[in-house]
Amino acid sequence: MTRRKLSLTLVVAVTAVAALAVGLSTGSARSNKGYRIFFLPKTTTIPVFTQNAIGAKAAAKELGDTITYNGPTDTAGPAQVPFIDSAARQHYDGIVISTSDPNAVAPALKRARAKGVKVVSYDGDVAPDSRTIFVAPSSNKLIGALEVQWAAQLIHNKGDIAIVSARPTSPNQNIWIKFMKDELKKPQYKNMKLVKIAYGNDDPAESAKQTQALLQAYPNLKAIIAPTTVGIQAAAQELQQEGKCGKVQLTGLGLPNDMRKYVKAGCANKFGLWDEQNLGYLAAYVAHYVISGKLTGKLGQTFKAGKLGNRTVAISDGNKPVVVLGPPLAFTPQNIDKFHF
Amino acid sequence: MRSLATRALARWETLLVAGIVGVGIWGATLPYFFTTANLLDLTTQYAFIALAAFGLSFVVIAGEIDISIVSNLAVSVVCFAQILAAGVNVWLAALAGLAIATVLGFANGLLVAGLNLPSLAVTLGTLAAYQGLAYVVLGGEGVASFPTSYTKLGGGYIGTELPIALLVLLGFALVLGALLHGTRFGRYVFTIGSNREAARFAGIPVARVRMAVFALSGLMAGFAGVLYVGYFGSARADAGGSSLLDIVTVVVLGGVDIFGGIGSMAGVLLAFVLVSELRNAMATANVAGDRQDIVIGGLLLTAIVVGNLLRASQAGGARPAFLRLARREVIGRRAQQWRQALSARNSRI
Repeated sequence: MTRRKLSLTLVVAVTAVAALAVGLSTGSARSNKGYRIFFLPKTTTIPVFTQNAIGAKAAAKELGDTITYNGPTDTAGPAQVPFIDSAARQHYDGIVISTSDPNAVAPALKRARAKGVKVVSYDGDVAPDSRTIFVAPSSNKLIGALEVQWAAQLIHNKGDIAIVSARPTSPNQNIWIKFMKDELKKPQYKNMKLVKIAYGNDDPAESAKQTQALLQAYPNLKAIIAPTTVGIQAAAQELQQEGKCGKVQLTGLGLPNDMRKYVKAGCANKFGLWDEQNLGYLAAYVAHYVISGKLTGKLGQTFKAGKLGNRTVAISDGNKPVVVLGPPLAFTPQNIDKFHF
Repeated sequence: MRSLATRALARWETLLVAGIVGVGIWGATLPYFFTTANLLDLTTQYAFIALAAFGLSFVVIAGEIDISIVSNLAVSVVCFAQILAAGVNVWLAALAGLAIATVLGFANGLLVAGLNLPSLAVTLGTLAAYQGLAYVVLGGEGVASFPTSYTKLGGGYIGTELPIALLVLLGFALVLGALLHGTRFGRYVFTIGSNREAARFAGIPVARVRMAVFALSGLMAGFAGVLYVGYFGSARADAGGSSLLDIVTVVVLGGVDIFGGIGSMAGVLLAFVLVSELRNAMATANVAGDRQDIVIGGLLLTAIVVGNLLRASQAGGARPAFLRLARREVIGRRAQQWRQALSARNSRI
């Protein structure tokens, strides 16, 4: 290849890449009415966040707002910072964020707020001084306690149990695990023993590996609690492959659509979750009213969240100001077919 | 006389500038991209990636690789946080973090150069081991109690718009550029990367230089950690974990030959600007996170392919398959010149 030909090829290649980049951009046409809200999940690679976005977009449609859903492919908090800065740069009216590192995103959120962007957190809370209101799926204490109760029902209050969590640094999972330990101290669970907390990093392959390791290391294991939608699905698949369904019970938090086939196969007989679409829906409503100035984070303020009815800004789990979605749903082989998310 | 390699790099850097201008033209079509504040701020949030890439460049030019730097960064960051929590002054604690990072880098060097083990295997091992160590030191918690006088380092501004991180990063580029291109140590690194055997015969203390290169890479991972904490104001055991793609892309896109012996600090700096600019423009255009990764990964592959083609064309139109041999020969000749120069000097003494 001569040099001239090569240079020509390079110019063509660079142009092609630039054209591709333009083609990739989704564009951010500015509509005149309604608010522009940036919806930033921990990562776009986990299905629950897609569910949140569906709900948020439905709420935005009712309110006349526009939602941009975008986020990193990695669950580490700092990966969200470029998205926060970019949303502030584009003068979005609000950011709705769920994070796995409350502190790492705080400086960026504060910068955004200084530019007039309103911040609402949901699901994975950020540092309290970097947002106006936190939208909680449920009470953390209730979630932790329920998961132990479900496990106890499945193994008749007796035997070794283990936890397959997300990252060791995931704030929601860590607080639920703390409340699980509190619940386990009650006398009715005296014959249940928590032998190990494993971390699958919210990665399907790693979670399956951790489950397999648990099964090998603890042959007397009676139940696994996986308080993460990624972890519970991976654990169910692993139990099925190892032929341990029914011998080792599985509970935790999971999406009905992910878990349906494992429920039918008897690999997960009771687990729960809140309605993820409703959570996104509620977060978008809160964001709308925070931007409009109706909600300022003062305790006791009330508003109507569309189909979810009236909600109040309150204290939950000692955290404030919080708007709570409600108690989680419990899924069993009897009712699983009623849920489609 | 300008060598073939220098000319290749001159052209490579021109290409990077063209890329930066090209992305800039795309950026100009986006609202909110072409403002002074944004252009000055392009590199602020990625500055720690540049520092790690500067350190890694030395390793790659010496013909090795160090993928443990992201875990090394995590260890230095959590140690820094723990030492600070024990009541030590923040700058002293940062210094301790740097010392620890250097030791971890040196440990890589001992394994690679001392025991003559392959660097990819060694640093893959320490990537996992150091990550585990970071969790041992801090567990799953995060520390965010850094004084604002300190976090100005990564996230502060002089006046209203000039980021301090930009000055820090340019300062390091200058110092390390001088070290790589203006000192005997730098020339040793290039020679070892070109042909280790020839370097040994030429009387270069090969093992010591290779260890020093890994220690330097560790030290720079430490500095990256210092800046990381300065920007994010948060120290956790999984700090920096997702940055390896960007760091390696910056080094390779910067024209550093992944087989060693060729590279320049200016190229790495330009590549860093290009990657930051591209990430910023893609974020401004709301390109989805997964597609951003495809673009950056594609850029890495393009850099390798185009780099090889360029060198092939310079080696007289040889096909890429013959490229390695052709280049080695050129470099072998360079080492021979070295050897002659050295023996001439020795005979004078």
